[in-house]
Amino acid sequence: MSDGRGRAGGAIRLKVHVDPDKCQGHTLCAMEAPEAFELSDFDGHSTARFETVPAGMEQAVRDAAKTCPEQAIVITD
Amino acid sequence: MTTTGDKASPFHFDRHAPEYIDHFDDLTHQLHEKCPIAWTETWGGHWVASGYKEVFEIARHGSLLSNDHDVHHERKGWQGITIPSPPGRDTRGGFLEMDPPEQRDWRRAIDPYLSPAAINRWKPMLDDLTRACIDERIETGTIDFVDDLANVVPAIMTLALMGLPLADWEIYCEPAHAQVYTPPTSPDMARVIEMTSVTQQKLLDGIRECRRNPRPGMVLGLIEAEIMGGPASDSDIRDTLGLLIGGGFDTTTALTAHSLQWLGENPTERARLRAELPELIDLATEEFLRYYTPAPGDGRTVTCEYELSGHHLEEGDRLWLSWAMANRDPSVFEEPDAVKIDRRHNRHTSFGLGVHRCIGSNVARTVFKAMLTAVLDRIPDYVCDPSGAVHYDTIGVINGMKHLPATFTPGLRIGKGIEETIGLWQKSIDEEGLARPVTRQG
Ligand code: SF4
Repeated sequence: MSDGRGRAGGAIRLKVHVDPDKCQGHTLCAMEAPEAFELSDFDGHSTARFETVPAGMEQAVRDAAKTCPEQAIVITD
Repeated sequence: MTTTGDKASPFHFDRHAPEYIDHFDDLTHQLHEKCPIAWTETWGGHWVASGYKEVFEIARHGSLLSNDHDVHHERKGWQGITIPSPPGRDTRGGFLEMDPPEQRDWRRAIDPYLSPAAINRWKPMLDDLTRACIDERIETGTIDFVDDLANVVPAIMTLALMGLPLADWEIYCEPAHAQVYTPPTSPDMARVIEMTSVTQQKLLDGIRECRRNPRPGMVLGLIEAEIMGGPASDSDIRDTLGLLIGGGFDTTTALTAHSLQWLGENPTERARLRAELPELIDLATEEFLRYYTPAPGDGRTVTCEYELSGHHLEEGDRLWLSWAMANRDPSVFEEPDAVKIDRRHNRHTSFGLGVHRCIGSNVARTVFKAMLTAVLDRIPDYVCDPSGAVHYDTIGVINGMKHLPATFTPGLRIGKGIEETIGLWQKSIDEEGLARPVTRQG
């Protein structure tokens, strides 16, 4: 399902992960982007639901990263 | 002489003085501009970290700051998280006055009672208790938001989580609040310490009762926990329960009172929040948390030499992390002195930063949202009476209110009163084991 948009932009996809040493379970990432971050039932610490950010979800992931008080969300190009 | 905020040229800052309440914005601007990390001579001398950058850098630093309260002088004699250290205290303030790894063991024991998944299970009870509190007042057209609502629901919720009898909430309530709003030098302090020791005994009795007749809840979780390779003593468990009561009772009360007062003063914003509640409630909650910062800061002890923004911290220095002031830093928050109920990217520090992140943050949010939702739904035209609103005498520990009376158009009761409601929920908790932990995973 290659679409024109992906190819035109060089198909650069963002990668995302939550640094487990920094995340303290503030839960704001999942409040901002529940489709991208999942909280542990046990302690509320977060993990990303995917490594490569699906097209269309880049902004939501960036917003979540900006909202994290611990700056635990790592986004790489 | 210009103040540099070093030990030789301190910046006068007294959290317990009336100026701190009355001139908070001014004081914050001065500190941010002149010295976002400053030495002050008050309360034995200590640093005040007020800049977001400074607070962020040191609060998350693994080993620079210690929470240890070495009450028996077995280690370095450090004084814990309160500045000044409370008079006559010979016990630690639970795991908040410990460092890892001991602190981590305590937290792991109660995490599964306080995670988002664990707290979600309590929503029906919270909605019902809130309903009952409002039902008690709705026909009269008057309410005190502190006495009749915000003191009640968080207190009952805290006892429910611990597995202690809900009906006892009033026994714990006054001392829990008085402990934080009584200034350290007040003549009333002796009475407050006396009241507190009564509740401490009550907690010990609760722990012993739970050992005899185990029932689900955080008390049992702590009894069964392995802390540094062995079981915890009753007195250590009591201290941690005391911490959970202090954190659970007073902070959410403070947040609720301030938010309802602000919404009463800003009826247009209140109407907007009510009309767009599903979209706005999360953002508004985080904004009230940021702006009113219920726990305005925490004390620490510096463990080693460290250069911070041109100032030299030394081992043993006391330090105050001002969450409230970091929350007003214009480099992170646009128009920081304004409440914007739709503020985005709100990475406030109100639950702390680093390994001591408020373990009750999910409780606080859920309890607050239940109360706010019900007030907006059932008594949306309330008007607070400013002459009856009473703020704490000191907000050095908690930025709280003692009373917030309001009037509104009377309405109809829709259910049972608070006493009966508490009785019914006690029955469900006992029969269905509602206070069990969520199962461990992830
Ligand atoms: S907001 Fe940050 S600290 Fe909080 S759960 Fe998400 S990643 Fe973790």
